[in-house]
Amino acid sequence: MKGRYEDENLTWIPILIVGIFLLPFVLKGLTYSYKYYLFVLNMAGIYIILTVGLDLLSGYTGLISLGHAAFLAIGSYTSAILVDQVGIPFVFSLFISPLIVGLFGFIIGFPALRITGMYLGLTTMGFGFIVKRLIIAFREWTQGAGGLEVSFPIIFGYTFKSDWDNYFLISAFAILAVVVSRRIGKSKIGRAFMAIRDSEQAAEASGVNLAKYKMLAFFISGIFAGLAGVLFAHTSHFISTDHFDILLSIYFIIMVLVGGASSIYGAVLGTLFIVLLDYLFVPEMKGWIQEFLNIEGGDIQSLLFGLIMFLFIIFQPTGLYGMWLKMRIYWKLFPFNPKKKFI
Amino acid sequence: MKKYIGLSFLLTLLVMGCANRASAPGVSEDKILIGNVQDLSGPMKELGAVLPAGSNLYFKYINEQGGVHDRQIEMMVEDHQYNPQKAVAAAKKLIEKDQVFCLYQVIGTSPCEAIRPILAESGIPLVAPATQSGSMSDMSREAAELIFHTDTGYDKQTGILVDYILSQDSNAKIGLIYQDDDYGENVLKGAAAAEARTGISIQREAYQRGATDFAGQVANLMKGGATQVIIAGVVKEPIIVMKTAAAMGYAPQFFGTSPTMDHRVALAAGPAGEGFIASNFAYLWNSDVPTAVLYRELCEKYEVPEAYMGMYHFYGFATAQVLVEGLKRAGPYPTRNRLVNALETFNKWDEGAFPPITYSQNDHAGTESVVLVQVKEGKQTVITDWID
Amino acid sequence: MADLCINNIRMQFSGVVALDDVSLSVKESEIFSLIGSNGSGKSTLFNCINGFNRPQKGSILFGNDDLLKKKPHEIIRCGISRTFQNVQNIPFMTVLDNILLGAHHRIDPESTVKRWLSQKQRAAEEVMGLEILDFLGIVNYEQKYMAGQPYGIQKLTEIARALVGKPKLILMDEPAAGMNDQETYEIAKIISEIRDELGITVLVVEHDMSLVMSISDRVCVLDSGEVLALGKPEQVKTHPDVIRAFLGDSADA
Repeated sequence: MKGRYEDENLTWIPILIVGIFLLPFVLKGLTYSYKYYLFVLNMAGIYIILTVGLDLLSGYTGLISLGHAAFLAIGSYTSAILVDQVGIPFVFSLFISPLIVGLFGFIIGFPALRITGMYLGLTTMGFGFIVKRLIIAFREWTQGAGGLEVSFPIIFGYTFKSDWDNYFLISAFAILAVVVSRRIGKSKIGRAFMAIRDSEQAAEASGVNLAKYKMLAFFISGIFAGLAGVLFAHTSHFISTDHFDILLSIYFIIMVLVGGASSIYGAVLGTLFIVLLDYLFVPEMKGWIQEFLNIEGGDIQSLLFGLIMFLFIIFQPTGLYGMWLKMRIYWKLFPFNPKKKFI
Repeated sequence: MKKYIGLSFLLTLLVMGCANRASAPGVSEDKILIGNVQDLSGPMKELGAVLPAGSNLYFKYINEQGGVHDRQIEMMVEDHQYNPQKAVAAAKKLIEKDQVFCLYQVIGTSPCEAIRPILAESGIPLVAPATQSGSMSDMSREAAELIFHTDTGYDKQTGILVDYILSQDSNAKIGLIYQDDDYGENVLKGAAAAEARTGISIQREAYQRGATDFAGQVANLMKGGATQVIIAGVVKEPIIVMKTAAAMGYAPQFFGTSPTMDHRVALAAGPAGEGFIASNFAYLWNSDVPTAVLYRELCEKYEVPEAYMGMYHFYGFATAQVLVEGLKRAGPYPTRNRLVNALETFNKWDEGAFPPITYSQNDHAGTESVVLVQVKEGKQTVITDWID
Repeated sequence: MADLCINNIRMQFSGVVALDDVSLSVKESEIFSLIGSNGSGKSTLFNCINGFNRPQKGSILFGNDDLLKKKPHEIIRCGISRTFQNVQNIPFMTVLDNILLGAHHRIDPESTVKRWLSQKQRAAEEVMGLEILDFLGIVNYEQKYMAGQPYGIQKLTEIARALVGKPKLILMDEPAAGMNDQETYEIAKIISEIRDELGITVLVVEHDMSLVMSISDRVCVLDSGEVLALGKPEQVKTHPDVIRAFLGDSADA
């Protein structure tokens, strides 16, 4: 007997990867403001690294975390301190800092052994506040609330200075994160995670050590968030506690939910969708929306995100990825498709 | 075949990308585009609408007179919600996408800190950032040569207030309530310097940005026996602190840094705010200096709503004068470099609102002195000359 | 050798005695049925064997292992797997992945890492599940998502998940509940095959008397947490207490 993977068509993956690396050149050709678009894509790339990890935790394992901005913060500050104050090369920090954040995740995993659902969300949210306070308290290293300047990323003597350089660095790691998280999700670990979410009894009866795997989920998720933090700190060159507020954690959860929980591609799509909406669509459309709703100023962003979240949970709980799967079936069956099955 | 069509399309794009564009960004025949990043929907949103409105008032006045070297000034405002990352995005959008000539009036210390690297990268100046953080004009840091500060830093202000208190009452026990963010950080720096200079010790009480309950801090200060209390807050904090203290029967002399010098403080605090002294780096908008007179004339002429008029609106107006003067001095063919050089020729330039502004190649802190304003019978009254 | 010995088990939930001094033993390679009315303690006994409930008294031995000293997730390593009365599948996983969940302890960390790096290991894993699917005759379902599958498939997937762990003893909690006659007949056939072809001991809780009587080697009747009768199906069927307490009602109906 042979496995079933051979049926899958995987040729699009290398094409996509080549496309990702060619994208900046295309953008440069298309528009003079390509640098801004690259900056937005870099932001999305960093967030993708974090949200695929968050998806493993909240989507797969069902442990809601509202503290992922704090993980990002720990990763950023750890790397900034290690590289600029301790003097460790950036390349090593790329490995060490995520591990440290993973350990923090491990510690936060302890309460998750006893509490779940909204209560866990609140606990992790509290963790977010504590981290922010601690960063302010450790003034000698973090310069308090004033923010910290961070050096450029240097890999083997090459300094990544512009958004153009950063794009290649970040997208390489984003691809790596997606591949690794997908492999985790499809292996025995991913199956155990999903079993914990849907039926702890079935998981235990199948030999899954609940405590171990819940901690593992936090650990892995912490590693991804830590990696995102390292890249965030060094590519944005300045970090301060104002970056990492509770709203950011909520945005991460929205990204995962909008994309479709418990699918890695969903997290990627959701992140891209929200980031592009946030940085490109909303600033363009803001004036128009304000005129349409006849309001002055106001927080259009939050309004829009709340609305999107609401609509997705009610009408499209499987998220963007689910939408895509349905669309694909629709096109496959094209002339014979049953009506009203689109989207 | 299909493949080659795609490939050739790509190559065409590549070639197109290499073509250079000629003219100086943001400057056209009849227009200069200025970029501004404000907090329109975050914790400081009450300022986000007022500051640019004040600037636009002056721009409108200049534009009606024919503009600067026959170019109309146009300002684009973006939102950063007091989030440094959003500030970076907004600044990049303005610089890369909208191609503004320079940045102006960006509010908040950490947003300004966050966009500092971009300034260096694209060589774009930031004129009159709306933050009084002393670290802004600190030349030892990268890209400071592109930031032109009009305001007296919080650290300086705190030092001046401490000196003033000690000159009035040499036995003063000073307490300090500060916001535990970048703003407070700068105030603390000034407090630490003042402690080292004068040998006194200041009791520090922190509060979180957005806090509405100050009973704990006030009680601690009461216990510590502070006779003079400096409030480093924005608008609502001094009001609540003074009312809380009044309710608790604690009556020290209250002082405040420049953001607390809003007329709403005097209005809302009522009797509890009587005698409150705030430092400010600009004259009062209802005083008789020429800029304030012009300001009130224009407000009347363009029917500015009552709610806008006041310190912050006037501040926007006054910094617009600095920018316009800089643009005038930059000549008919402005480039970013020329603007920087032109601003550096300011030598005790006095348009009336600010203390005389001096920039030089090594110093971009325009002013380093303040006036003290006291609430007397519910009205703000200037009680000192420029002191530093 | 690998007999399941339950000795003097007493399980009490804050005042309610679910199992009172229950002793029985299941011999290797036999089909042993537990019957009894609702609340007679059948599922509680399963949960005790499985480690979900901790009895206050008594001991449960399987081969040389003392099951009461094991954590729930270690039970499967002793060679005991189970299915649930209300199906406990993972809706957003494929049928194949649901089954492979049961092979959790068969895949060591080393091969997990190998799986990340090469497709060969992945094929090896999938073959584990496909073998069982083949055995149960639902082989073309493996790529389908669990959500929305018919009840019969869901039940079979549960059994497959229990089998893929290569147990020596399988606990089946009402495998035929909610099934029609045709499906019940097939379940009965599968249970016999599990014993005959795979040599696995089967301990089954079931309400369907015809199923129990046709496949069981021995039957135990539980009533209010006590053993009422134990023996061959014919003996139990004619036991006076049993007729009164349990079978009598269903025979009338």
